[in-house]
Amino acid sequence: MQEFKSLKDLPEQDYFTGGSSTCAGCGPSMGLKLALKVLGPDTIIVNASGCMTLLPLYPNTPLKVSWIHNAIENASSTAAGVRHGLDMLGNGDMNVVVYAGDGATYDIGLASLSAAAAKNERIIYICYNNQSFGNTGFQWSTATPYGSETKTTPRGKDNPTGTTVVNKDMVKIMGAHRVYAATASLAYPVDFLNKLNRAKERDGFSYIELLGSCTAGWNYDPRMTVRISKLAVQCGMWPLYEIENGMLTLNKDFNELKPIDEFLKLQGRYRALPQDDVAKLQSLINEHWAELKEYNGKRYV
Amino acid sequence: MKQTLVTGNEAAAWGARLVQPNYIPTFPITPQTECIETLAQWISDGEMSGTYFDRMESEHSVMSAAVGAAAVGARVFTATSSQGLLLMHEVLYIASGMRLPIVMATISRGLSSPVTLWSDHNDFLDQRDSGWLMLHAENNQEVLDMVLQAYRIAEDPRVLLPIMVNMDGYVLSFTDEPITIPTAGMVKEFLPEYTPKHTIAKDRPITVGPPVLDEYTLFRAQNHVAARNALEVMEEVMVDFDRIFGRRYHLVDEFMLEDAELVLVTQGSMSTTAKAAIMEMREEEDIKVGLLRLRVIRPWPASAIAAALKNAKAVAVIDRNVAPGKGGIMLPEIVETLYHLDRRPLVSSFIVGLGGNSQTEHKVKEITRKLIVDLETGRPRVEWNDMNNNDNEGL
Ligand SMILES: Cc1ncc(C[n+]2csc(CCOP(=O)(O)OP(=O)(O)O)c2C)c(N)n1
Ligand code: SF4
Repeated sequence: MQEFKSLKDLPEQDYFTGGSSTCAGCGPSMGLKLALKVLGPDTIIVNASGCMTLLPLYPNTPLKVSWIHNAIENASSTAAGVRHGLDMLGNGDMNVVVYAGDGATYDIGLASLSAAAAKNERIIYICYNNQSFGNTGFQWSTATPYGSETKTTPRGKDNPTGTTVVNKDMVKIMGAHRVYAATASLAYPVDFLNKLNRAKERDGFSYIELLGSCTAGWNYDPRMTVRISKLAVQCGMWPLYEIENGMLTLNKDFNELKPIDEFLKLQGRYRALPQDDVAKLQSLINEHWAELKEYNGKRYV
Repeated sequence: MKQTLVTGNEAAAWGARLVQPNYIPTFPITPQTECIETLAQWISDGEMSGTYFDRMESEHSVMSAAVGAAAVGARVFTATSSQGLLLMHEVLYIASGMRLPIVMATISRGLSSPVTLWSDHNDFLDQRDSGWLMLHAENNQEVLDMVLQAYRIAEDPRVLLPIMVNMDGYVLSFTDEPITIPTAGMVKEFLPEYTPKHTIAKDRPITVGPPVLDEYTLFRAQNHVAARNALEVMEEVMVDFDRIFGRRYHLVDEFMLEDAELVLVTQGSMSTTAKAAIMEMREEEDIKVGLLRLRVIRPWPASAIAAALKNAKAVAVIDRNVAPGKGGIMLPEIVETLYHLDRRPLVSSFIVGLGGNSQTEHKVKEITRKLIVDLETGRPRVEWNDMNNNDNEGL
């Protein structure tokens, strides 16, 4: 299998061209564009209702690969049907790739995802995590981080924190399904595409969670998408790691994390977050980072 | 061909086995369980080698997986009942909207709450506007035959719509009846190989299920036209079925209607009981009563129904279902169909057999006698036959 060493190694061919109806600077769209470089033409994208459902808008599509949208909660079961349909018809060499948001993944679609993973279906599941229900206008999901303001967790006199629930650890949950589970970032495309490349070769379920920087919901200048994605990693908000056979590998190690402030200050969703909430968020991040460091190279789940 | 005793569940499974679908996603629910267990055993035993049997975590996922597999051109079969069918509801619209010829056996069971395991038709009829074609069998032979016919109808390029084949829970699903199992050769002659032209395939990238703007009406209209086309296709399929298997079916099942002044309109297994009662009433009491059984619920065979009822003086629509606050679900469908006739019969409504309440010949005779009274007084009735609870405001 080919291992990419630098950006120059990435395929030039694009299967995601112009004409999509998503926002300028949309992280999830950029993620899919990158992903298709390694997934190639023999790929079927199974989409869950969300922002990415607007990639094609009849009769146009920016995609040169097949794409199916069923509903919001059933991308994994749809993908299972696609997988077995293809296998039974002798097209087993095609890639079946779910592209679903965090709401569709962490929340409403969790049962169908869990079953497909437990059955180790030969599916690549990419969750683009924009940390909200984006398509309906940026509401809270169980992937929304502590302290973020969303439309259903607005800051107010009685709740200056916004989101008070700590997001669930989905990567760990998926790792506990004994499948390959990893995080990825747009700002580290070599790491992302190597993970996808390996997932493609695997004879089973792979779960890759891509931080889906969202210009509209996070409220930042569309030019900043990659920069914000990079800061998320450098601040420890979005550590890059993978779990395989229960073993943890930290893919991007830092001696010291940048303070979370650098990530927060660029985005409208953290505007006016009280200082003790910033401190709490920082301690949640430190805790997670310490855990990853401790288990790096060891059994994690 | 072999004669054998099978339950309705097994008859549906036999239909699937003869068709050899590529994919069967499943989730258990009483009284459908025996159907999928039978298939699971056959597949384990290597008797359906071209079929992948999938155990899903819910009916919502069953129908989602069915959509996924059908979208890449696989032949798909599944079965469900009651709450399971309702849990699929959202995805049923998606399957028909995508024009996927999925075939599903539904084994009707009353809906919660309260819980019952026994049959009525609310679960099935709740899917009436989902865009699926809907067939309702009277006996186990028809269950098998309908599954075979369903694939021919669904996969016809003029149609390309999913189909449900309904049977009554317990009364058919768990009752052994003698039926004839056709040979694989006959089925092969009847049902050509499925070579879809509009599904996802290697080197044929397509987009399935995108959002639209102004074209929504256009797509819905196409669904409607396709469903209407199915009437003609069904007629053709039934002629062909008769030629190969020697059993002649029609859009509606007419029983002793030639000279009938009173007509009972029924659905499903209660029709057999009603037919027996009708023969007795004709013989012993000289009552000119006949029966019209609704075999095809969608598309609605309006002309066939109107033609069958045009000479009737009074009609009893026997609904084994209820739309609370309205009444029997099929009553308005029949009334509307008759409305345009030059001479309209009087139509009374009877709600019977909910949640498995028994359907006896005695009950059928009682309804017929009430219909005679209605005809004499010239006043139709709306009646909950099992409880002496009459709601004459209803008409
Ligand atoms: C059953 C159901 N409930 C609600 C919706 C409305 N809905 C459409 S997209 C969406 C948000 C999905 O959020 P996520 O999965 O995070 O993807 P994103 O929109 O952020 O891309 C919701 C709630 C729906 N389509 N179906
Ligand atoms: S709202 Fe966010 S995730 Fe959705 S299309 Fe816009 S930038 Fe992308």
